[in-house]
Formats: sequence, structure tokens, C-alpha cells
Amino acid sequence: MSRGRWLGRLLPPAEREFVLGDLEELHPGERRARPGYVLDLLRAALALRSARRAAPPLPTRGDPFVHTFLHDLRYGLRQIARSPSFALLSMLTLALGIGATTAIFSVVNPILFRALPYPDPDRIVRVAERDREGQDAGTGYATFVDVQKMATSFEAIAVSSQWQPTLQGSGDPERLDGQRVTQGFFSVLGVRPSLGRDFTAEENVRGRHRVTILSHGLWQRRFGADPSVLGRQVTFDGFAYTVVGVMPKSFESLLSPTAQLWAPLGYEVSLPWACRTCHHLGEYARLKPGISPAAAKRELDLISARLVAEYPTEYAAPGMLVVPLNTVVTRSVRPALLAALGAVGFVLLIACANVSSLLLGRAMQREAEFAIRGALGAGRRRVVRQLLTESVVLSLLGGAMGVGLAWWGVKGLVALAPAGLPRLNQIGIDGRVLGFTAALSVATGLLFGLVPALATARPDLFTALRPGGRHTGHRSRRLARGILVAGEVALSLMLLIGAGLLFRSLDRLLAVNPGFEPRGLLTMEVQTTGSRYADNPPVWSFFERALEAVKAVPGVETAGWTSQLPLGGNFDRYGVQIEGKLLANPEEAPSADRYAVSPDYLQAMRIPLKRGRTLGSKDGAAAPPVVLINETFARVGWAGEDPIGKRVQLGGADRPWRTVVGIVGDVHHTGLDEQQAPQIYIPEIQWIVADGAMVLAARTRGDPAALAPAVRAAIRSVDPSLPILHTATMDEVVSATAQSRRFAFVMFQVFAVVALLLAAAGIYGVLAGSVTERTREIGIRSALGASRGGLLTLVVRQGLLLTGAGLAAGTVGALALSRFLDRMLFGVGARDPATFAAVVLVLLAVALAACWVPAWRATRVSPLEALRAE
Amino acid sequence: MPSNLGELEQLVLLVLLRLGEEGYGVPVRAMLAQRARRRVSLGTIYKTLVRLEAKGLVSTWMGEPTPERGGRRKKHYRVTPPGRRALTRSLNALRSLGRGLDPAWQVP
Repeated sequence: MSRGRWLGRLLPPAEREFVLGDLEELHPGERRARPGYVLDLLRAALALRSARRAAPPLPTRGDPFVHTFLHDLRYGLRQIARSPSFALLSMLTLALGIGATTAIFSVVNPILFRALPYPDPDRIVRVAERDREGQDAGTGYATFVDVQKMATSFEAIAVSSQWQPTLQGSGDPERLDGQRVTQGFFSVLGVRPSLGRDFTAEENVRGRHRVTILSHGLWQRRFGADPSVLGRQVTFDGFAYTVVGVMPKSFESLLSPTAQLWAPLGYEVSLPWACRTCHHLGEYARLKPGISPAAAKRELDLISARLVAEYPTEYAAPGMLVVPLNTVVTRSVRPALLAALGAVGFVLLIACANVSSLLLGRAMQREAEFAIRGALGAGRRRVVRQLLTESVVLSLLGGAMGVGLAWWGVKGLVALAPAGLPRLNQIGIDGRVLGFTAALSVATGLLFGLVPALATARPDLFTALRPGGRHTGHRSRRLARGILVAGEVALSLMLLIGAGLLFRSLDRLLAVNPGFEPRGLLTMEVQTTGSRYADNPPVWSFFERALEAVKAVPGVETAGWTSQLPLGGNFDRYGVQIEGKLLANPEEAPSADRYAVSPDYLQAMRIPLKRGRTLGSKDGAAAPPVVLINETFARVGWAGEDPIGKRVQLGGADRPWRTVVGIVGDVHHTGLDEQQAPQIYIPEIQWIVADGAMVLAARTRGDPAALAPAVRAAIRSVDPSLPILHTATMDEVVSATAQSRRFAFVMFQVFAVVALLLAAAGIYGVLAGSVTERTREIGIRSALGASRGGLLTLVVRQGLLLTGAGLAAGTVGALALSRFLDRMLFGVGARDPATFAAVVLVLLAVALAACWVPAWRATRVSPLEALRAE
Repeated sequence: MPSNLGELEQLVLLVLLRLGEEGYGVPVRAMLAQRARRRVSLGTIYKTLVRLEAKGLVSTWMGEPTPERGGRRKKHYRVTPPGRRALTRSLNALRSLGRGLDPAWQVP
């Protein structure tokens, strides 16, 4: 492009044509780059601009601020159009950063930042008794009744328990998830049915409690959204319930996300399962206005002290817990989400640094433009403003592309979401998220634009315009670019270390022996329901016959039933008293996971027998009661003694003594990362009450999933009316327990790879720019006899210097920050040296690769051309 | 209250009256140099013209492109009636103040 045309752009567009015409006339045939021409042009541009400014009546459209902004905006868009490849590269980089941040924000926002969807959500708390470790132990009904009577801190207080009724009648039987609640439950949440009414106090009373409130979804799905459903009788588990209400569509059941219906709890204190030690209820309360959770806790601690004094053998520890509901809801996912948010923040910073560095590189090319703008009277602030407008335009365009990426990313995130991620249906890109993205884009634009703008706004006119003078005076800018790139390397290193630590944790976790052989196991839950199964014998008989049918399926080696599936998400824990070691307070007895199993269960699971004998068919209902215990229980309960032949008692002093006949291996029940707990296996048929819901574990030859339909059909052949739930291979069950960690790992992995690519691009960009700028120097060196190796070293050394600085800073940062991942790690320290070393090596290798191309180009510089170039 | 004219503004208005249809940047500059012995840059002339235009004393129109201008059009200037009145008032003031002073600037 000739300098004349280029300089012509300095003229106000409206005046450009005739002024250039006049100049052409005035300097006919002269080379336009001559000083006279340039001087006249500069003076004309200066005069026209200052004349415009000085002439007040000149019409400016609207507000001068807006006017300037629109002008800058147009100019910025033109700049982008003029160098599309630069613009595309920057926008893609920004789209990655902004898009990833938007995606994560849209997941995190409803969970961590938005208030719960209830009125005055800060006043809703969970109330719980404490176990000996001070942890949440749930609530027993008798204690709840006392607290409700005595406590004055609450506007409303209620307890709830899970309820899984099977809906019978029209259509297929369907097991539903619901909650049984005491009156006031919905007042605690601050919601009321949109159709019909809430439960009344009378309906708390046993015998009058067979009424139900439906969720909006269930009402629509099973009852055709018919308003006349109110007052209608519906059959659950063989009992008739009257529908009294329907919840509003907007109601989100956070305490039990899958709940579709509610019924009164219907307990009274005299019931055996309403005892003080029956901690299976969740207690929730709404604080009176102005009462803090801490104040409520002080009151409850006093009440608890009185109860412990009155019933010393019924409580494990005095004191109660009062926890804001928001904390309860987000507790399990908070670390994973905060880690993801932190990681994506790093990616955004890296993207900013990268674009900043690109802009700095470009600023060197545009130096002359800004020199002339300065000469024409553009103030530093004006130029900075212009440049910032340009960068904001870039980042807004990048942000728009990012929203597209995010839209696509959110789907993936939801699919990956860890189990128990609350408010999943609220996750998506809505107006709030778009607002966030827009604000983020503007902030990003300002952030990455500021350094280049400040560095560019006041170049030296003479240096900038002197041909061949382009290689001086860039030192500070080159330093700024170097710092940016080193920063990128540092941030990538931290992300990679996070990814590395999480990967190793996941690896270690999945390598943990669960205590059984998960491969080749098919599991599904069957629930006996309805009046036919009201007594024990039909239940036992059903499970026995169903097991026979399953074992007859070709491909099934053996199969067994268990009341609790390890890693299945539930547990059933009982206090166990040991004969000869009775404790005055049974609440202090060790608690054990209880499994009611059919004899072949341990074989099907391949849980190894360590000593003694396993359970067999002779351990029938009338035979002497026996149990198996795991090794941990043997160690905890009988340190140094032989437990075989000793007797234990489960579930209270009125229960029979059971003889330990064998010791089996430990099984991870609540999670692969959990400490081993005592476990106890009982023949299902020897328990006083038949377990109505059992999980099948079938050992198969070949792919267990392929056998699922045949196994289901076998169970249905015994009784087609029973719901079969949660069909899964044991591998899937195990894998689901690592979901939260996998989520964090995939986040870090994706972000770390993006960060690595951006950092590599950053290193490449700086070196490539530097090689271009130093073409002459390299040419001279080469002419003076520098070897190719010497030239390679020259460039690579510069790259490695940047990388080294970044690695040093990143290592320090990672050492400081990795402890925030602590809760997500397993079997590996937050400062694991092997991970740190491996990641540093990976980054070094990538940095070397990024240096290589520019270095190779430097060796190809022909001295002749380099010297002739200017 | 119409504004008063600066000296360069007076000169440019006079030049434009003389140039008629040929009143644009380059000839204005040339005539100022030849007849008024004033060497000014094009930039200065533009500045003056912009100011006169803003005051409504000259009007403009775009002319035809010509080859010696690299195919670019000219921007022509014409003195408007308010311009003529302002110029007359200005020159009258000069004349009335100068009248009666002898060439050696002595009061007779």
C-alpha cells in the first residue's frame, strides 16, 4: 500500500476525496512519499480536525460521548475487517475463554449463586441431632415432637421421610418417589398447593393420614391435569389415599428432587419406629424473622441438654445442628463446582493474555498510525479510548461466538453432572447468563485491551515514521508480551497440575478393590408391594421363586438377593451389641452396615470368605440365627479374640442373639474413598420383618447388560405386577460413585488442553514476531558466519526463557493453590512431586515444539534478502 | 449579531468572489499567493473555509472529477448573501477608518 493512500486515512472521511484531489493538483507527478506532500497532507488533516472542533455550530449528532463511541465503533469494525485473520484468531481465542466461562457459569449460577426458589430462603434451615463425631445424624420422631413443643425460634418446623409408594389402578403399576411429611412442611418452605389445600393438623394423626398432594408433573402425567382430581381416591401400595392438593408448576422440591407426591407422616410416639434412636427423619424449620441460625442452635442445645439428662441412654451426644438449607443443598457438589469455576477463570485469563499479546504484536505494526494520530492532536486518552473500543468490539464478537460454544457445552456438562447436582432443570442459557456473558465480554475486552492500549498510545513520532527505524523502542512492549506469555505458561501449568492430580486420584480411586468383583454383574431392584405382600411368607416365597427363575436364565451363573447394594447410594446401619461387652448406653455401640441376603449373594458378588463358613440353605427361618461379619468388624469388635462362635444383637435389646459363623472380606459400601465400616450379613429369612425391596445381583457369563431383558422377564414370570427399578451393571454402579470426581477431572482436562494450546500459540506468536522483527539482525549474524545451530539456539533460548519464567511462577502458584483441590483428591497429595514433574516436562515439550517453527524460520533467513529488505 | 470577519476570512471571501465558479482549495491558495502575497498552506485555507461554512457565509457543492486530480472531485465554495453582507460591512469599516489618512498614515 502506498504511503500516500495510507496517510490519506488520516483525513476525515468527508473531506478526504477533495483534499487528496487538491494535493494531487498541487504536487503533480511527485512521488507521494515526498516530505512536501506529506507535510501538506498532515497540515490539512490537522487543520480540518481542529477547525471542526473549534467550530461550535458544526452539527454533531446527539451526545458527543455517544458520537465518539459510534465513531470508534465504526473504526474498530473497519480495523477488524481489514485484518480478518488476526480478528478471527483473537475472536476464536476469546470465544473459547468466554464460552467456557459462560457454560460453567450457567451450571454454577442456579446452584451456588442464585437464592433457593422459596420465599425468604435464608430463614430455612435443616435441624439435626449429632452423632458422636458431631456429624448430622438425622432426627428421631420423639425428639422432633419435644423440640416442636419447646423451641421458640421457629415459625414452622416439620420432619420428612422418603416414601416410595407404588401407584396401582389404571395402567401399569408405577413406583413413585415421594415424601412423608408432618403438617407445616410446606409452610417451612413457604409454598402452598396451587390447587386444593395443604395438609391439616388432624391429618398428622395416624389413621387419618391417607391423603396426598401431587406434584404438578405427576398431576399432568397420570391425571391429565384434571382439576376434578381433588377428592378422588388413588391406590398406593394397596391403600386408598384421597387427593387433597396439587403443587404449583413452579415448585421445585429441593429436599427430595425426585419427589412427585407427598402424604402425612402419620407417626405417633408409641410406634416402635418413632423412637428417639430411630434417626431416619429429616427435620427442617423456618426461622422466625430476625433469629439467626446460631441463635436457634443455642436454644436447641439447651433443649438437647434437657433431653439427654432425661433419657441418658437414648442419645449419642448432646447438642444439635442448625444448618442453612442452601448449605445442605449444595454441600456435596460445591467443591467440584468451585474447582470448575476456578479452572475456567484460568482459561479466560489465558485467553485474555493471548489476545493481549496478539494486540501488542499488532500495535507494533500500527505504530505509525498512532504516531500520526498523536501528531494531529489526538490526546493519549483519546487514543486509549479508541483502542479500548476496538478491543471491546473484538471481545463482544468473541463473546457472541462463545455463547454458541456454551450452548453446546452446557448440554455436555449436564450429561456429565455429578449425581446429586441440585436444580439440574434450572441449568441452561437464559437472560441472566447472557447478561453475565455480555458483562464478561466487556470486562474481558477492557482487561486484554488495556496493556496494549497504554503501550501504544504514545509512540515516538520520529521513530515510528522513520523507515528502518522500526526495530528500536519496542523494548518495553516486547517485555510486556514476554510477561503475558510467561503468565500464560504459568496458568496452564497450574491447570495441568490440577488435571494431573485429579487424573491420578480418579485412577487410584477406580483401582481400589471394592471387595467384590464388579465385572460381569447385573443388578436391579425389585419391590414387593400391595396387600398380597402384607405378611412375611409371601414376600420370602416371591424372592425365592424369582431367584430360581433368574438362575434358570441361560447365561446367569448364579444370583442372590441383598437388602442393600454396595455403592448403590443407600445404607442401612444398625447399632450392634456384642455379648459380654454390653454398653450401658446402646447408642454408643458400634454401628454396622446390615445386609439381609439370600445364601448365594456372597458367591454371586465374589465376596471372599476369610474364615468359618458361609451362609447356606440350612440357615432357615426356624434354624438358629446366624450372621457373617466382615474383617473390620472382627477387628473393631473382638480385638485379639476369635469372633467365630460369639454372639451379637442388632436393633435393640429385645432382638434375638445371633451367632457369628464366618468372617468375610470388607466391601466398600458408601464409596470407594470411604473408610471401611463394620458390616454384618444376615439370612433374609431370619429377620423378623421381610425386607420388601431387594436388589438382585446376578453373576453372568458375557455382557451383563445384554441379559437384563431376560432376567427382568424371569422376575415378571413370577409376578408381573411388581416394579423393577435401577437396572444397571455393577460396573456402572461403581463408576457412578466417582462421578463428582470425574466431572471435576473432565473439566480440568478440557480446560488444561485448551490452556496448553493457547499458551503454545502465545509462545509461537511472540517468537514468530520477534524473528520477523529481527530479520535484519539475524541476516547480519548469518552473514558474519553464525551457524544454523547458533541461530536455532538464539531463538529457542528466548522461548525457553519465557517458558522457564512461566514454569517457575506456575509451580509456585500450583503449590499455593492445589490444596483447594484437596477434597477432590484421593490417594495422591496436593503437592505430589511426580505429577508436578510430569506436567513440567509436558509443558516444556510443548513449549519446545512451539519454539521450533520460528527458530527454523530464523535459520532460513537469507542474509542478502534480509539486508536488501529495507 | 453577525460575527466579525478575521483578516484571512476577508481575503478568502474576496478571492472566492473573484474566482467565481473556480472557487476551490488550490486556486484559492494560488491567488492568495499571487495577488495578496500571502503564502499559506492548504490546511490553513481549509480551516478558514470550514469556519466560514460553519458561519453560513459560504456554501459548497461537489464538482466533477478531473484526471489531473487523480479522478477525484473538487469541493467548490461560493459566497452566500450573508457572506456578501458581512464582507461589505467589513470593507466599509476599513474604508471609513482609512479615509482621510494620508499615505504616510498621518492625520492631515
